[in-house]
Amino acid sequence: MADPPVEQSESADAVIGLISAGRDHHSVETTIAHILETPVPIRVALLHPPLAAGNGQAPAAPSNWLLIASPQLAFDPSSFTQSLGEGIRATSDAARKLNSRACALVASDLSAANADWVNLLLQPVLEQQFDLVAPCYARHAFEGMINRAIVYPLVRALYGKRIRNPMGPDFGVSSRLLERVSKASQARAHALPSLAAEAVTGGMPLCQAHLGPRNYAAPDWTNLSSLLARVLGPLFLDVERYAAHWQRARGSQPIREFGQPMYLETPQSAMDVSRLIESFQLGAHNLQEIWGLILPPSTLVELRRMARTAAPQFRMADTTWAHVVYDFALAHRLRTISREQMLRALTPIYLGWVASYALELELASAQAAEQRLERLCVAYEETKPYLVSRWRWPDRFNP
Amino acid sequence: MWEQVRQTLNQSTVGALNWLAGLLPGLLALLVAVLCSLVLAWIAAAILRRVLNSIHFDERLESWGLTGVAEYSPQHTPSLLVTRVVAWAIVLAGLVLGLGAVEATGTSELTMRLFDYLPNVAVAIVVVIVGVIVARYLARTVLIESVNMNLHYARLLSLGVKWLVMVCTIAMALDHLQIGSGIVHLAFGILFGGIVLALALAVGLGSKELVSRSLERESRLPADTEEPIRHI
Repeated sequence: MADPPVEQSESADAVIGLISAGRDHHSVETTIAHILETPVPIRVALLHPPLAAGNGQAPAAPSNWLLIASPQLAFDPSSFTQSLGEGIRATSDAARKLNSRACALVASDLSAANADWVNLLLQPVLEQQFDLVAPCYARHAFEGMINRAIVYPLVRALYGKRIRNPMGPDFGVSSRLLERVSKASQARAHALPSLAAEAVTGGMPLCQAHLGPRNYAAPDWTNLSSLLARVLGPLFLDVERYAAHWQRARGSQPIREFGQPMYLETPQSAMDVSRLIESFQLGAHNLQEIWGLILPPSTLVELRRMARTAAPQFRMADTTWAHVVYDFALAHRLRTISREQMLRALTPIYLGWVASYALELELASAQAAEQRLERLCVAYEETKPYLVSRWRWPDRFNP
Repeated sequence: MWEQVRQTLNQSTVGALNWLAGLLPGLLALLVAVLCSLVLAWIAAAILRRVLNSIHFDERLESWGLTGVAEYSPQHTPSLLVTRVVAWAIVLAGLVLGLGAVEATGTSELTMRLFDYLPNVAVAIVVVIVGVIVARYLARTVLIESVNMNLHYARLLSLGVKWLVMVCTIAMALDHLQIGSGIVHLAFGILFGGIVLALALAVGLGSKELVSRSLERESRLPADTEEPIRHI
């Protein structure tokens, strides 16, 4: 892999890495132009993916800006964790060579990202000595469901910090944390989920910034199982890696927040969850044998009971869902079956939880959605002793 | 007459003892070769495990994106898998060496033919073991993917794939054992073709309504952009 073209003699106080899909050159150019308009008293290097030949010329940079095109920052959505990992590595390499104190990683769709994002991600690191600034996005109750259902509650329960988006993908990172992550991740495929975990386990100060709405690529229903596998694979690897730390953590603490919190109202259109429930029922009918290798009998009985419930009464208890996620994390560690197959086998149960959540929150306000999420997180925290017991004695403790 | 019977018995006993005595050095050599290879395999495995652990082989493999290596043996780490493969290769080499010694000292044609046949049995066993593992893995993958694609005949597909692989495996194993090769080829062709034809007919005729209902349901799905639920 080629290093970004950075001269050793150059230096910058901060580095901004714009990780973007190569196809949207207009957004990259517009974002670069907006960022360059921001007056900054420090020297900043801006790394961006190469622009298209001909019309793709980067705007002229003011004297205290350094523009660097790096092919590693061209984001490939088909292998997004790998691609983001490479983008993060390229940006942190550049930050190290330029002796930067802070680094902002912007990996969201650049049509929503702006100069405020960069400021919000960099300022806490540069001015308040935070090592990690995690993002908070303005979302309605049915956006970012994998994060809502699994990533946020799991990371919060395990590491004891209420980081709303532990997997970013937009971050502000100090040089100290980048150094720590690069040392820890020399033999790892994904640097992305490790940023939050490394900061927490290293006792580094962290905060989160409200960045506002974020644009999303169109969801691909047919690839949901591979999406789950790609998100949860690195997350569960971290659960295994930091087991010694999270077994000692109790409860959770809020972290400092910057920016103005924004909550989007839930769409008022009637939601048809019949397909989600049908997917769950199909899984419950056909995957019992595979789930039986991962889940304890009590959870299997509960899932079978749910599969017989019709749509209006269809509910999945938070404790059941938390147990399922914990059991899958444990099965990932034990390699009960192939990890890829195991992660994909979670899809119908996840869709069952989404259906239950959607039925509960139909036409609910943004505040009600927040309260619902908080209840789920508390359920994860309260059932954490179950994970600790199963983790320590996987054969003995099998209710 | 009794004298002749006694002499014949004596001769056959002496002959059998001579045959056994002729075979003993070879068998002893086989035993020594296998024991030595077991000890060597154990030492090599221990050294290799230490080396792989010291270079963080599992993590490196993951960083190179070669996680699929461990997928066929999910309960073992890649380093354990490599260690075991090396150890068993050494044991197998020892066995082959020992068999060579037996073959060199073997006297009767039956023994020679028996030892000539042993490699076929070994290969057939390996083929069956690999076939069963691959069939199980593929059946599970097809089942999970079919369920995730909302196909109502997921179990049927999974079962079809499993038996296709199993039939293929059994035919290959029997071919290696040189048992009724002509009949096996013919039976395999008929059975394999029969399974494919049965699946085609099941999908084309028997499950016509099932398939059309599945496809209809897929086509009724809301467009991605209209879907209010977003997973990422």
